[in-house]
Amino acid sequence: MAVLDVKNLKKIYRPRFGGNQVQALSCVNFSVEEGEYVAIMGESGSGKTTLLNIMAALDKPTEGTVLLDGKPLSSIKDKDIAQFRRDNLGFVFQEFNLLDTFNVKDNILLPLVLKGENCKHMDSKLQPIAKELGISALLEKYPYEISGGQKQRAAVARALITEPRLILADEPTGALDSRSTDELLGLFARINAGGQTILMVTHSVKAASKAGRVLFIRDGEVFHQVYRGQMTDEQLYQKISDTLTMLATGGDRR
Amino acid sequence: MKKGFYIRLAGEGISKNRKLYFPYILTCICMIMMYYIVSFLSISKELASIRGGEMLQRLLSMGVFVVAVFALIFLYYTNSFLIRKRKKELGLYNILGMGKRNLVRILLWENILTAVISLVIGIVFGILFSKLAELLAIKLLDGATGFGVHIEMKPILMTVGLFLAIFLLIMIRMLVSVYKLRPIEMLRSENVGEKPPKANWLFAFAGAVILAGAYYLAVKIIDPTTAMLVFFLAVVMVIIATYLLFIAGSVALCKLLQKSKKYYYKTRHFVSLSQMVYRMKRNGAGLASICILSTMVLVTISSTMCIYADTESSIRNRYPHDITIEWSGKTSLPQNEDGTDTELKDSVVQRLTPEMTMTYKEAVEKVLESHKVKAENLENYNLYSLSGVQSDDVLSIDFEKMKGEISSINAGMSGSVKTMYFTTMDDYNKLKGTDKTLAEDEMMLYSYKTDYEYDSFTIDGVGTWKVETMKEPPIGVGNAMANMQGSYQVVVKDLSVIEKIATAYETINAKPLQDGTLYLLSLKECYDFDLKCDEEKQIEIYKDILESFEHISEAADEQGNRMGDSLANYYADSKAYGKGDFIALNGGLFFLGVLLGAVFLFGTVLIMYYKQISEGYEDQDRFNILMKVGMTKKEVKQTINSQVLTVFFMPLIMAGIHLAFAFPMIQKILMLMSGVEAKVFVIVTIGCYLVFALFYVLVYVVTSKSYYTIISSKEK
Repeated sequence: MAVLDVKNLKKIYRPRFGGNQVQALSCVNFSVEEGEYVAIMGESGSGKTTLLNIMAALDKPTEGTVLLDGKPLSSIKDKDIAQFRRDNLGFVFQEFNLLDTFNVKDNILLPLVLKGENCKHMDSKLQPIAKELGISALLEKYPYEISGGQKQRAAVARALITEPRLILADEPTGALDSRSTDELLGLFARINAGGQTILMVTHSVKAASKAGRVLFIRDGEVFHQVYRGQMTDEQLYQKISDTLTMLATGGDRR
Repeated sequence: MKKGFYIRLAGEGISKNRKLYFPYILTCICMIMMYYIVSFLSISKELASIRGGEMLQRLLSMGVFVVAVFALIFLYYTNSFLIRKRKKELGLYNILGMGKRNLVRILLWENILTAVISLVIGIVFGILFSKLAELLAIKLLDGATGFGVHIEMKPILMTVGLFLAIFLLIMIRMLVSVYKLRPIEMLRSENVGEKPPKANWLFAFAGAVILAGAYYLAVKIIDPTTAMLVFFLAVVMVIIATYLLFIAGSVALCKLLQKSKKYYYKTRHFVSLSQMVYRMKRNGAGLASICILSTMVLVTISSTMCIYADTESSIRNRYPHDITIEWSGKTSLPQNEDGTDTELKDSVVQRLTPEMTMTYKEAVEKVLESHKVKAENLENYNLYSLSGVQSDDVLSIDFEKMKGEISSINAGMSGSVKTMYFTTMDDYNKLKGTDKTLAEDEMMLYSYKTDYEYDSFTIDGVGTWKVETMKEPPIGVGNAMANMQGSYQVVVKDLSVIEKIATAYETINAKPLQDGTLYLLSLKECYDFDLKCDEEKQIEIYKDILESFEHISEAADEQGNRMGDSLANYYADSKAYGKGDFIALNGGLFFLGVLLGAVFLFGTVLIMYYKQISEGYEDQDRFNILMKVGMTKKEVKQTINSQVLTVFFMPLIMAGIHLAFAFPMIQKILMLMSGVEAKVFVIVTIGCYLVFALFYVLVYVVTSKSYYTIISSKEK
């Protein structure tokens, strides 16, 4: 069964004081299977962020449904939504969003504490993840003391520690240098190989080329998609580039 | 560039930052207003003409100084908020191509605009409210006045001068900070790279120890006279300790709690605790200031209010009767032929003979007759007073011998100086209409402002008496009430006992003065009575009595000897006459207390407002992240609420604790100044605290609203 199912998603922004309506999403359909690594690509203004916000239950669609494990997000009550989010979803943001008042360890443990987990189990969950992400030595440091790449790894650890059904990553490499980008993408590939479902929004071709499937969004709908199949990263990269060129030059749906 | 350009930019800068600027200008206006009012009152002719007005004006001129110092510190402090918040904006101007010279010009204009606006409005309001304050002051002093508004040039000039100086100082600081400015730093968010605060255990520990010491001093002090000295020491200690505790102690406490994993890793504590550390580090000093200011407000208002409320009863205590007259015997020490003083003989105590006071009594009668009033509740009795040092149940009266000890007495170590007032059983029975008797070795004792817990009483070198304590003072002795140290009023068998004590005392202690006169603190005859007429007439009668007394004592007989020499010394006092001074002093203190209280309260409110605003901006991002990470809006609100509440109400609670511990000490000091009852003081203090707390909550409600507006503005 699909972990995530997006059906006929439509989102229209209505300005508060009249003005023109903006259609951010017109009709989006796709689904993500268990263990998949999906990248969503699109130009600025194509509706990527809106889509992500709706999938994260941060925003509500005008029409259509999002199903997580077959359960529609719209059926969750407002007051339960934050809890639902922290139980089922893990987030990785472009700007890391680490709290500067916590050290790395406490930042990672934050979701567990919010969940009300017993502090004895916390350490046993933290250690393997920290080791896997190579931040064991940084646990006692504060965000301002570590590099961007390290910060993003801490953020990934924070997303992973609750063992979420799905990880939503919003431009995770956007604020990283190329080496850190490589490291992070390698990391994503590894955790995906471990069975973690990942959905990543990006406009970096390089980031997308590591995914198992790439969706292209244009004008508020899924315009095209590319499966990796037997392709290597380089081949996929080429394919994505070609697709983007075609999109930019205004080719029709194939 | 056009000439109005900078002014326009400056005006825009002010109105764009109105959330920060308006409270600042309001502060300036209020400070200027307060300063003008206080300095106006301190030289107002209208006030000076009221009885007691001059005393109030002397108090007020001290108040002028306090307000000036406070205004300087306070404006300087609030302005620093402003600079910190505006650095980003200035940095942007700088990057957009404005040189530092241009920035300086903008700031210059901003400062000039602020100064002019607040000076003009402040003085106008000052003039308007000065009349109100004057009316209030005069009302408190029981005087009457017209409703004309006066404008005095001198206080205006003083105010303008002082505040221009303060503004200049603030501007210099602003300019210095502009020159130190680096645009990149200014643009960056304020929180980036802030190190986690380290707990300074030494300071925290020192703070706790000093506070404990100050509390111990405050509670332990027994003797009221020493309370004054120790009070000052304790106040300084409390101020230091409060700063240490708020700055270092709070961080240390948070760190300690963080070490306890079980406590720390709980949903309710996790976020609050970690943010609290930063909050305390940043706001420790401000919170300590709030705490100290609040304590000051509470202490000033509650104690001055107590004194004022108690004016009537302290007048009653000090003047049990409308007219008080005392006669005392005196004698000249006969000189030897070679001019040296003769040795004091055994019985130097001169008993007051009826002849010595007769003439005076007749004079009083005559005066009363001429005013067509009668002496009511006449109390005519003998009184003997002496001072000694009490330790346990022994009173030592040899001051020569105790010279060394006296200094230690003043330090409040062993025993304390007590004054005793002796009367006879006869007089007591006569006054009270009772028929009691006492044996030679018995006494009845009443203690003022102190307790006596022993069964017997020994006067060193004189004798020992069995003691029966009384619940009511046998005779209202005004001096006993006014006495700063505790005193005892004692009833003994008869005059012979008093004479025995007096003789012993005078033999040991009396020393002739340089002119050879030996004023013996001999027996006094008291002659107190009430008058059934209004106060003005009482004063008239009092003055007439004094005049006739003077006349009698100055008159000479046929041989050219002063009549006064063979008559008793006299002392007379009138309740109606003395009342004015009491009301003036107590009312003046209260007035000053309210004025300073208002200034302090205003300071507290402003600091709280700025604290809330600046924290709001800092918390914006954290609030956002927490929401994204999966905290519900309710949880975030709870966390923030609990932090804000803690930070906000900690100073109030701490001020309450300070007040509770200062209570015994203040009560003792109040006892020196007037006979305020403990119960009254408790009620007044608690009342003040509650009213203050109400104010505090009100400020909280108002400021937390703007806090949440800031917090949630970034949510969308």
